[in-house]
Amino acid sequence: MRLVVDGAVCMGHGRCYALVPELIECDDEGYPTLRDVPIDVPGDLVDFAEEAAGTCPEAAIRLIAD
Amino acid sequence: VTDMLSRAATAGRDLGGCPVLHRDFAPAQPAGCHWELAKELREGSPVYFNTFAQGYWIFTRHEAVKEIYKQPEIFSSESITPWQPDPIYRFVPTQVDAPDHIKYRRILNPWFGPRAIDAAEDRMRDLCRRLVDEVAPAGRCDFVADFGLRFPTEAFLSMIGIPPAEADRFVRWVEDFFGGFGGDPEGLAAMTAALDGIRAYWAQALDERRGEAEPREGDLASHLLHATFDERPLTGTEMLDMLTVLVLAGLDTTRGELGYLFRHLAERPEHRRLLIERPELIPTAVEETLRYYTIVFGDGRKVTRDLEFHGVQLKKGDMVYGLVSGANRDPDAYEDAGSFVIDRKRNNHMGFANGPHRCLGMHLARREMQLAVQEWLRVIPDFRIAPGAELTERGGGAMMTLERLPLEWEVAG
Repeated sequence: MRLVVDGAVCMGHGRCYALVPELIECDDEGYPTLRDVPIDVPGDLVDFAEEAAGTCPEAAIRLIAD
Repeated sequence: VTDMLSRAATAGRDLGGCPVLHRDFAPAQPAGCHWELAKELREGSPVYFNTFAQGYWIFTRHEAVKEIYKQPEIFSSESITPWQPDPIYRFVPTQVDAPDHIKYRRILNPWFGPRAIDAAEDRMRDLCRRLVDEVAPAGRCDFVADFGLRFPTEAFLSMIGIPPAEADRFVRWVEDFFGGFGGDPEGLAAMTAALDGIRAYWAQALDERRGEAEPREGDLASHLLHATFDERPLTGTEMLDMLTVLVLAGLDTTRGELGYLFRHLAERPEHRRLLIERPELIPTAVEETLRYYTIVFGDGRKVTRDLEFHGVQLKKGDMVYGLVSGANRDPDAYEDAGSFVIDRKRNNHMGFANGPHRCLGMHLARREMQLAVQEWLRVIPDFRIAPGAELTERGGGAMMTLERLPLEWEVAG
Protein backbone atom coordinates (compact mmCIF):
# COMPACT_ATOMS: atom_id res chain seq x y z
CA MET A 1 0.00 0.00 0.00
CA ARG A 2 1.06 3.58 -0.66
CA LEU A 3 -0.15 6.79 0.95
CA VAL A 4 -0.24 10.24 -0.61
CA VAL A 5 -1.10 13.60 0.94
CA ASP A 6 -2.90 15.90 -1.50
CA GLY A 7 -0.96 19.13 -1.09
CA ALA A 8 -3.75 21.38 -2.36
CA VAL A 9 -6.32 19.90 0.02
CA CYS A 10 -4.13 19.51 3.13
CA MET A 11 -4.52 22.41 5.56
CA GLY A 12 -1.99 21.25 8.12
CA HIS A 13 -4.30 19.96 10.86
CA GLY A 14 -1.48 17.64 11.91
CA ARG A 15 -3.60 14.62 12.76
CA CYS A 16 -1.72 12.32 10.34
CA TYR A 17 1.79 12.84 11.66
CA ALA A 18 0.52 12.61 15.22
CA LEU A 19 -0.84 9.13 14.34
CA VAL A 20 1.95 7.83 12.09
CA PRO A 21 5.12 9.80 12.78
CA GLU A 22 7.04 6.84 11.30
CA LEU A 23 5.62 7.75 7.87
CA ILE A 24 4.80 11.43 7.92
CA GLU A 25 6.90 14.28 9.25
CA CYS A 26 5.92 17.90 9.62
CA ASP A 27 7.67 21.08 8.59
CA ASP A 28 8.04 24.23 10.67
CA GLU A 29 4.60 25.46 9.65
CA GLY A 30 2.91 22.20 10.60
CA TYR A 31 2.35 20.76 7.11
CA PRO A 32 3.52 17.27 6.11
CA THR A 33 6.94 17.51 4.46
CA LEU A 34 6.00 15.09 1.68
CA ARG A 35 3.03 16.44 -0.25
CA ASP A 36 1.84 14.91 -3.53
CA VAL A 37 4.60 12.29 -3.24
CA PRO A 38 3.36 8.73 -2.60
CA ILE A 39 5.00 7.00 0.38
CA ASP A 40 5.27 3.21 0.77
CA VAL A 41 3.35 1.96 3.81
CA PRO A 42 5.01 -1.03 5.53
CA GLY A 43 2.63 -3.87 6.38
CA ASP A 44 2.72 -3.19 10.13
CA LEU A 45 1.61 0.42 9.62
CA VAL A 46 -1.34 -0.23 7.30
CA ASP A 47 -3.88 0.09 10.12
CA PHE A 48 -2.39 3.39 11.24
CA ALA A 49 -2.32 4.69 7.66
CA GLU A 50 -6.02 3.84 7.28
CA GLU A 51 -6.74 5.55 10.57
CA ALA A 52 -4.85 8.65 9.43
CA ALA A 53 -6.88 8.76 6.21
CA GLY A 54 -10.14 8.42 8.14
CA THR A 55 -9.12 11.06 10.66
CA CYS A 56 -7.94 13.77 8.26
CA PRO A 57 -10.48 16.61 8.62
CA GLU A 58 -9.85 17.69 5.02
CA ALA A 59 -9.94 14.18 3.48
CA ALA A 60 -6.51 14.99 2.01
CA ILE A 61 -5.02 11.49 2.44
CA ARG A 62 -5.39 8.91 -0.29
CA LEU A 63 -4.40 5.26 0.09
CA ILE A 64 -3.35 3.35 -3.02
CA ALA A 65 -3.58 -0.44 -2.88
CA ASP A 66 -0.71 -2.39 -4.44
CA VAL B 1 -35.71 47.97 15.16
CA THR B 2 -33.80 45.00 13.84
CA ASP B 3 -37.05 43.06 13.63
CA MET B 4 -38.69 45.63 11.40
CA LEU B 5 -35.59 45.87 9.25
CA SER B 6 -35.30 42.13 8.89
CA ARG B 7 -38.95 41.74 7.93
CA ALA B 8 -38.56 44.46 5.33
CA ALA B 9 -35.46 42.77 3.95
CA THR B 10 -37.04 39.33 3.72
CA ALA B 11 -40.50 40.44 2.55
CA GLY B 12 -41.05 39.24 -0.95
CA ARG B 13 -37.88 37.20 -0.84
CA ASP B 14 -38.22 33.70 -2.27
CA LEU B 15 -36.94 31.43 0.50
CA GLY B 16 -37.55 28.29 -1.51
CA GLY B 17 -40.04 27.01 1.02
CA CYS B 18 -37.39 26.51 3.69
CA PRO B 19 -38.49 26.90 7.32
CA VAL B 20 -38.19 30.39 8.79
CA LEU B 21 -37.29 31.08 12.40
CA HIS B 22 -36.62 34.19 14.41
CA ARG B 23 -34.00 33.47 17.00
CA ASP B 24 -31.29 35.35 18.86
CA PHE B 25 -28.61 32.80 19.69
CA ALA B 26 -26.74 35.16 22.03
CA PRO B 27 -28.48 34.78 25.43
CA ALA B 28 -26.96 32.47 28.04
CA GLN B 29 -28.69 29.11 28.59
CA PRO B 30 -28.41 26.17 30.97
CA ALA B 31 -25.21 24.26 30.11
CA GLY B 32 -25.53 21.97 27.11
CA CYS B 33 -28.63 23.66 25.67
CA HIS B 34 -26.87 24.81 22.54
CA TRP B 35 -26.01 21.27 21.45
CA GLU B 36 -29.61 20.23 22.07
CA LEU B 37 -30.78 23.16 19.98
CA ALA B 38 -28.30 22.30 17.21
CA LYS B 39 -29.65 18.73 17.21
CA GLU B 40 -33.24 19.92 17.01
CA LEU B 41 -32.39 22.21 14.11
CA ARG B 42 -30.39 19.51 12.30
CA GLU B 43 -33.17 16.96 12.65
CA GLY B 44 -35.83 19.49 11.67
CA SER B 45 -34.40 20.74 8.37
CA PRO B 46 -31.09 20.95 6.48
CA VAL B 47 -31.59 24.70 6.02
CA TYR B 48 -33.47 27.54 7.73
CA PHE B 49 -33.81 31.25 7.22
CA ASN B 50 -33.36 33.16 10.48
CA THR B 51 -35.04 36.57 10.38
CA PHE B 52 -32.93 37.81 13.31
CA ALA B 53 -30.86 40.95 12.54
CA GLN B 54 -30.78 41.48 8.76
CA GLY B 55 -31.67 37.82 8.21
CA TYR B 56 -29.38 34.92 7.34
CA TRP B 57 -29.36 31.26 6.26
CA ILE B 58 -28.54 28.42 8.64
CA PHE B 59 -27.17 25.14 7.29
CA THR B 60 -27.40 22.42 9.90
CA ARG B 61 -25.74 19.28 8.53
CA HIS B 62 -22.20 18.05 8.14
CA GLU B 63 -22.13 17.92 4.35
CA ALA B 64 -23.28 21.53 3.82
CA VAL B 65 -21.08 22.95 6.59
CA LYS B 66 -18.08 21.22 5.06
CA GLU B 67 -18.93 22.56 1.61
CA ILE B 68 -19.16 26.10 2.99
CA TYR B 69 -15.72 25.76 4.55
CA LYS B 70 -14.19 24.20 1.44
CA GLN B 71 -15.41 26.86 -1.02
CA PRO B 72 -13.95 30.10 0.33
CA GLU B 73 -14.22 31.72 -3.11
CA ILE B 74 -18.03 31.50 -2.76
CA PHE B 75 -18.27 31.83 1.03
CA SER B 76 -16.06 34.74 2.00
CA SER B 77 -14.66 35.35 5.49
CA GLU B 78 -15.16 39.11 5.14
CA SER B 79 -17.66 38.66 7.97
CA ILE B 80 -17.83 35.54 10.16
CA THR B 81 -20.76 36.72 12.33
CA PRO B 82 -23.97 36.34 10.32
CA TRP B 83 -25.90 38.89 12.40
CA GLN B 84 -23.16 41.46 11.71
CA PRO B 85 -22.34 41.50 7.99
CA ASP B 86 -20.17 44.61 8.48
CA PRO B 87 -18.47 44.22 11.88
CA ILE B 88 -16.63 46.98 13.76
CA TYR B 89 -13.43 44.91 13.87
CA ARG B 90 -11.32 43.38 11.14
CA PHE B 91 -9.43 40.29 12.18
CA VAL B 92 -6.30 39.57 10.15
CA PRO B 93 -5.96 36.98 8.70
CA THR B 94 -9.32 35.59 9.93
CA GLN B 95 -11.38 37.94 7.76
CA VAL B 96 -9.01 38.05 4.80
CA ASP B 97 -9.70 35.98 1.68
CA ALA B 98 -7.36 34.54 -0.94
CA PRO B 99 -4.82 35.44 -2.23
CA ASP B 100 -3.67 37.58 0.71
CA HIS B 101 -4.85 35.22 3.45
CA ILE B 102 -2.11 32.63 3.04
CA LYS B 103 0.59 35.33 2.99
CA TYR B 104 -0.41 36.46 6.47
CA ARG B 105 -0.77 32.87 7.64
CA ARG B 106 2.75 32.00 6.51
CA ILE B 107 4.10 34.75 8.75
CA LEU B 108 2.22 33.34 11.76
CA ASN B 109 2.21 29.57 11.11
CA PRO B 110 5.73 28.83 12.44
CA TRP B 111 4.90 30.52 15.76
CA PHE B 112 2.05 28.11 16.36
CA GLY B 113 3.34 25.00 14.54
CA PRO B 114 3.90 21.70 16.36
CA ARG B 115 7.65 22.29 16.64
CA ALA B 116 7.18 25.65 18.34
CA ILE B 117 4.71 24.01 20.72
CA ASP B 118 7.17 21.17 21.46
CA ALA B 119 9.83 23.74 22.28
CA ALA B 120 7.48 25.55 24.67
CA GLU B 121 6.02 22.45 26.33
CA ASP B 122 8.22 22.39 29.43
CA ARG B 123 7.50 26.04 30.12
CA MET B 124 3.76 25.53 29.62
CA ARG B 125 3.81 22.50 31.90
CA ASP B 126 5.45 24.57 34.63
CA LEU B 127 2.76 27.26 34.30
CA CYS B 128 0.08 24.58 34.47
CA ARG B 129 1.61 22.91 37.54
CA ARG B 130 1.83 26.20 39.38
CA LEU B 131 -1.85 26.96 38.76
CA VAL B 132 -2.92 23.45 39.85
CA ASP B 133 -0.73 23.70 42.95
CA GLU B 134 -2.34 27.04 43.76
CA VAL B 135 -5.91 25.73 43.74
CA ALA B 136 -5.32 22.18 45.07
CA PRO B 137 -5.04 22.90 48.84
CA ALA B 138 -8.39 24.75 48.94
CA GLY B 139 -10.38 21.66 47.92
CA ARG B 140 -12.55 23.76 45.63
CA CYS B 141 -12.37 26.34 42.88
CA ASP B 142 -14.29 27.93 40.08
CA PHE B 143 -12.51 26.05 37.35
CA VAL B 144 -13.43 28.57 34.65
CA ALA B 145 -12.04 31.65 36.41
CA ASP B 146 -9.25 30.08 38.47
CA PHE B 147 -7.78 27.80 35.83
CA GLY B 148 -9.68 27.66 32.52
CA LEU B 149 -8.91 31.17 31.35
CA ARG B 150 -5.68 31.72 33.30
CA PHE B 151 -3.76 28.77 31.93
CA PRO B 152 -4.31 29.42 28.21
CA THR B 153 -3.64 33.12 28.77
CA GLU B 154 -0.33 32.57 30.52
CA ALA B 155 0.69 29.82 28.07
CA PHE B 156 -0.16 31.97 25.06
CA LEU B 157 1.66 35.02 26.40
CA SER B 158 4.74 32.91 27.07
CA MET B 159 4.60 31.59 23.46
CA ILE B 160 4.76 35.09 22.00
CA GLY B 161 7.27 36.62 24.40
CA ILE B 162 5.04 38.56 26.80
CA PRO B 163 5.58 38.02 30.56
CA PRO B 164 2.79 35.85 32.08
CA ALA B 165 2.46 38.55 34.77
CA GLU B 166 0.51 40.55 32.16
CA ALA B 167 -2.22 37.87 32.19
CA ASP B 168 -4.65 39.80 34.40
CA ARG B 169 -5.31 42.61 32.00
CA PHE B 170 -5.64 40.25 29.03
CA VAL B 171 -8.17 38.13 30.93
CA ARG B 172 -10.30 41.21 31.58
CA TRP B 173 -10.19 42.37 27.96
CA VAL B 174 -11.17 38.95 26.67
CA GLU B 175 -14.16 38.78 29.03
CA ASP B 176 -15.37 42.23 28.01
CA PHE B 177 -14.90 41.65 24.31
CA PHE B 178 -16.93 38.46 24.21
CA GLY B 179 -19.61 39.98 26.39
CA GLY B 180 -20.52 42.11 23.37
CA PHE B 181 -19.72 39.69 20.55
CA GLY B 182 -23.23 38.25 20.28
CA GLY B 183 -24.66 41.67 19.39
CA ASP B 184 -25.95 42.65 22.87
CA PRO B 185 -26.11 46.49 22.81
CA GLU B 186 -25.22 46.74 26.52
CA GLY B 187 -22.11 44.70 25.92
CA LEU B 188 -21.10 46.75 22.91
CA ALA B 189 -19.55 49.61 24.88
CA ALA B 190 -17.43 47.24 26.98
CA MET B 191 -16.49 45.34 23.82
CA THR B 192 -15.32 48.51 22.12
CA ALA B 193 -13.36 49.58 25.22
CA ALA B 194 -11.68 46.16 25.39
CA LEU B 195 -10.70 46.35 21.72
CA ASP B 196 -9.26 49.81 22.31
CA GLY B 197 -7.33 48.51 25.33
CA ILE B 198 -5.84 45.57 23.45
CA ARG B 199 -4.88 47.71 20.48
CA ALA B 200 -3.30 50.36 22.71
CA TYR B 201 -1.28 47.66 24.49
CA TRP B 202 0.09 46.34 21.20
CA ALA B 203 0.65 49.80 19.76
CA GLN B 204 2.88 50.55 22.73
CA ALA B 205 4.63 47.18 22.51
CA LEU B 206 5.34 47.81 18.81
CA ASP B 207 6.61 51.34 19.56
CA GLU B 208 9.03 49.95 22.14
CA ARG B 209 10.43 47.50 19.60
CA ARG B 210 10.43 49.64 16.47
CA GLY B 211 13.81 50.54 14.99
CA GLU B 212 15.70 47.62 16.54
CA ALA B 213 18.18 46.10 14.09
CA GLU B 214 17.32 42.47 14.84
CA PRO B 215 14.06 40.80 15.86
CA ARG B 216 13.96 39.88 19.56
CA GLU B 217 14.21 36.13 20.12
CA GLY B 218 10.80 34.54 20.76
CA ASP B 219 8.99 37.89 20.60
CA LEU B 220 6.13 37.93 18.09
CA ALA B 221 5.53 41.70 18.07
CA SER B 222 9.20 42.27 17.33
CA HIS B 223 9.11 39.54 14.67
CA LEU B 224 6.18 41.22 12.90
CA LEU B 225 8.17 44.46 12.67
CA HIS B 226 10.77 42.54 10.66
CA ALA B 227 8.32 40.44 8.60
CA THR B 228 7.42 41.16 4.99
CA PHE B 229 4.27 40.85 2.92
CA ASP B 230 4.90 40.78 -0.84
CA GLU B 231 8.36 42.16 -0.04
CA ARG B 232 7.05 45.21 1.82
CA PRO B 233 6.98 45.63 5.60
CA LEU B 234 3.66 45.06 7.37
CA THR B 235 1.75 48.26 8.08
CA GLY B 236 1.05 49.31 11.65
CA THR B 237 -2.65 48.53 11.17
CA GLU B 238 -1.91 45.04 9.87
CA MET B 239 0.31 44.27 12.86
CA LEU B 240 -2.28 45.54 15.31
CA ASP B 241 -5.06 43.56 13.62
CA MET B 242 -2.97 40.37 13.69
CA LEU B 243 -1.89 40.69 17.33
CA THR B 244 -5.40 41.60 18.45
CA VAL B 245 -7.12 38.62 16.88
CA LEU B 246 -4.55 36.26 18.36
CA VAL B 247 -5.48 37.48 21.83
CA LEU B 248 -9.20 37.16 21.20
CA ALA B 249 -9.05 33.83 19.38
CA GLY B 250 -6.46 32.14 21.53
CA LEU B 251 -7.63 32.60 25.08
CA ASP B 252 -11.40 32.47 25.24
CA THR B 253 -11.72 29.41 22.98
CA THR B 254 -9.39 27.17 24.95
CA ARG B 255 -11.08 28.25 28.18
CA GLY B 256 -14.37 27.15 26.65
CA GLU B 257 -13.10 23.69 25.68
CA LEU B 258 -11.32 23.19 29.01
CA GLY B 259 -14.52 23.98 30.91
CA TYR B 260 -16.57 21.35 29.06
CA LEU B 261 -13.76 18.79 29.25
CA PHE B 262 -13.46 19.18 33.02
CA ARG B 263 -17.21 19.19 33.53
CA HIS B 264 -17.22 15.88 31.64
CA LEU B 265 -14.40 14.47 33.78
CA ALA B 266 -16.11 15.66 36.97
CA GLU B 267 -19.23 13.73 35.98
CA ARG B 268 -17.51 10.63 34.60
CA PRO B 269 -15.19 9.02 37.20
CA GLU B 270 -14.61 6.03 34.91
CA HIS B 271 -13.13 8.37 32.29
CA ARG B 272 -10.87 10.02 34.88
CA ARG B 273 -9.60 6.60 35.93
CA LEU B 274 -9.10 5.52 32.33
CA LEU B 275 -7.00 8.59 31.51
CA ILE B 276 -4.89 8.07 34.64
CA GLU B 277 -4.31 4.40 33.82
CA ARG B 278 -3.88 4.91 30.07
CA PRO B 279 -2.50 8.42 29.54
CA GLU B 280 -1.89 7.58 25.87
CA LEU B 281 -5.65 8.07 25.44
CA ILE B 282 -5.48 11.73 26.50
CA PRO B 283 -4.96 12.99 22.91
CA THR B 284 -8.00 11.05 21.61
CA ALA B 285 -10.06 12.27 24.58
CA VAL B 286 -9.08 15.82 23.66
CA GLU B 287 -10.08 15.32 20.01
CA GLU B 288 -13.41 13.84 21.09
CA THR B 289 -13.94 16.84 23.36
CA LEU B 290 -13.41 19.10 20.36
CA ARG B 291 -16.00 17.11 18.37
CA TYR B 292 -18.61 16.38 20.99
CA TYR B 293 -18.32 19.62 22.95
CA THR B 294 -17.73 21.92 19.97
CA ILE B 295 -17.77 25.46 21.31
CA VAL B 296 -18.35 27.03 17.89
CA PHE B 297 -22.13 26.97 17.72
CA GLY B 298 -21.92 28.07 14.09
CA ASP B 299 -19.50 29.83 11.74
CA GLY B 300 -20.59 32.66 9.45
CA ARG B 301 -19.56 33.48 5.90
CA LYS B 302 -20.65 36.10 3.33
CA VAL B 303 -21.88 34.94 -0.07
CA THR B 304 -19.88 36.38 -2.99
CA ARG B 305 -22.24 35.54 -5.87
CA ASP B 306 -25.77 34.34 -6.58
CA LEU B 307 -26.01 30.56 -6.50
CA GLU B 308 -28.25 27.66 -5.63
CA PHE B 309 -27.00 25.79 -2.58
CA HIS B 310 -28.67 22.79 -0.95
CA GLY B 311 -32.04 23.67 -2.44
CA VAL B 312 -32.18 27.39 -1.72
CA GLN B 313 -31.28 30.42 -3.81
CA LEU B 314 -28.48 32.45 -2.21
CA LYS B 315 -27.79 36.01 -3.32
CA LYS B 316 -24.54 37.93 -3.33
CA GLY B 317 -24.17 39.64 0.07
CA ASP B 318 -26.30 37.10 1.96
CA MET B 319 -24.89 35.76 5.19
CA VAL B 320 -24.78 32.00 5.85
CA TYR B 321 -24.24 30.25 9.17
CA GLY B 322 -22.77 26.74 9.14
CA LEU B 323 -23.96 25.03 12.31
CA VAL B 324 -20.66 23.39 13.25
CA SER B 325 -21.98 22.17 16.60
CA GLY B 326 -24.75 20.31 14.79
CA ALA B 327 -22.47 19.01 12.04
CA ASN B 328 -19.98 17.53 14.51
CA ARG B 329 -22.74 15.35 15.98
CA ASP B 330 -24.36 14.48 12.65
CA PRO B 331 -25.10 10.73 12.57
CA ASP B 332 -24.56 10.77 8.80
CA ALA B 333 -20.94 11.69 9.44
CA TYR B 334 -20.00 9.81 12.64
CA GLU B 335 -20.69 6.43 14.14
CA ASP B 336 -22.36 6.76 17.50
CA ALA B 337 -22.39 10.51 16.88
CA GLY B 338 -24.44 11.31 19.97
CA SER B 339 -22.00 9.74 22.45
CA PHE B 340 -18.67 10.85 23.86
CA VAL B 341 -16.38 8.02 22.71
CA ILE B 342 -13.16 8.61 24.60
CA ASP B 343 -10.98 6.45 22.33
CA ARG B 344 -12.65 7.40 19.03
CA LYS B 345 -10.11 6.70 16.31
CA ARG B 346 -11.56 8.18 13.13
CA ASN B 347 -12.51 11.64 14.22
CA ASN B 348 -12.37 14.09 11.33
CA HIS B 349 -14.28 16.73 13.29
CA MET B 350 -14.55 20.39 12.31
CA GLY B 351 -13.95 21.75 15.81
CA PHE B 352 -11.03 23.76 14.42
CA ALA B 353 -12.96 24.61 11.24
CA ASN B 354 -11.99 23.33 7.84
CA GLY B 355 -10.40 24.71 4.72
CA PRO B 356 -7.86 27.54 4.56
CA HIS B 357 -9.08 29.25 7.74
CA ARG B 358 -8.59 26.24 9.98
CA CYS B 359 -7.62 27.39 13.45
CA LEU B 360 -4.10 28.81 13.56
CA GLY B 361 -3.75 27.95 17.25
CA MET B 362 -4.97 24.33 17.01
CA HIS B 363 -1.65 22.77 17.96
CA LEU B 364 -1.33 25.07 20.95
CA ALA B 365 -4.94 24.48 22.06
CA ARG B 366 -4.60 20.69 21.88
CA ARG B 367 -1.36 20.71 23.82
CA GLU B 368 -2.80 22.99 26.49
CA MET B 369 -5.79 20.68 26.89
CA GLN B 370 -3.54 17.61 27.10
CA LEU B 371 -1.27 19.25 29.66
CA ALA B 372 -4.23 20.42 31.72
CA VAL B 373 -5.61 16.85 31.95
CA GLN B 374 -2.21 15.34 32.79
CA GLU B 375 -1.27 17.86 35.43
CA TRP B 376 -4.69 18.20 37.03
CA LEU B 377 -5.30 14.45 37.32
CA ARG B 378 -1.80 13.98 38.76
CA VAL B 379 -2.63 16.23 41.71
CA ILE B 380 -6.45 16.04 41.85
CA PRO B 381 -7.46 12.60 40.55
CA ASP B 382 -10.99 12.81 41.99
CA PHE B 383 -13.27 15.80 41.87
CA ARG B 384 -16.95 16.62 41.46
CA ILE B 385 -19.20 19.49 40.54
CA ALA B 386 -20.18 21.36 43.73
CA PRO B 387 -23.62 20.10 44.83
CA GLY B 388 -26.41 22.46 43.88
CA ALA B 389 -24.37 24.37 41.31
CA GLU B 390 -26.46 25.45 38.35
CA LEU B 391 -24.28 25.53 35.29
CA THR B 392 -25.00 28.03 32.54
CA GLU B 393 -23.23 28.67 29.27
CA ARG B 394 -22.65 31.85 27.37
CA GLY B 395 -24.80 32.00 24.27
CA GLY B 396 -23.89 30.81 20.82
CA GLY B 397 -23.45 34.38 19.62
CA ALA B 398 -19.78 34.02 20.47
CA MET B 399 -18.20 30.68 21.32
CA MET B 400 -20.01 28.73 24.00
CA THR B 401 -18.30 28.59 27.36
CA LEU B 402 -19.43 27.68 30.86
CA GLU B 403 -19.89 30.85 32.85
CA ARG B 404 -18.80 29.11 36.07
CA LEU B 405 -17.75 25.58 36.95
CA PRO B 406 -17.54 25.13 40.76
CA LEU B 407 -15.51 21.99 41.46
CA GLU B 408 -14.80 20.27 44.81
CA TRP B 409 -12.39 17.57 45.95
CA GLU B 410 -11.10 16.01 49.16
CA VAL B 411 -7.93 17.49 50.61
CA ALA B 412 -5.64 15.03 52.38
CA GLY B 413 -4.61 15.71 55.96
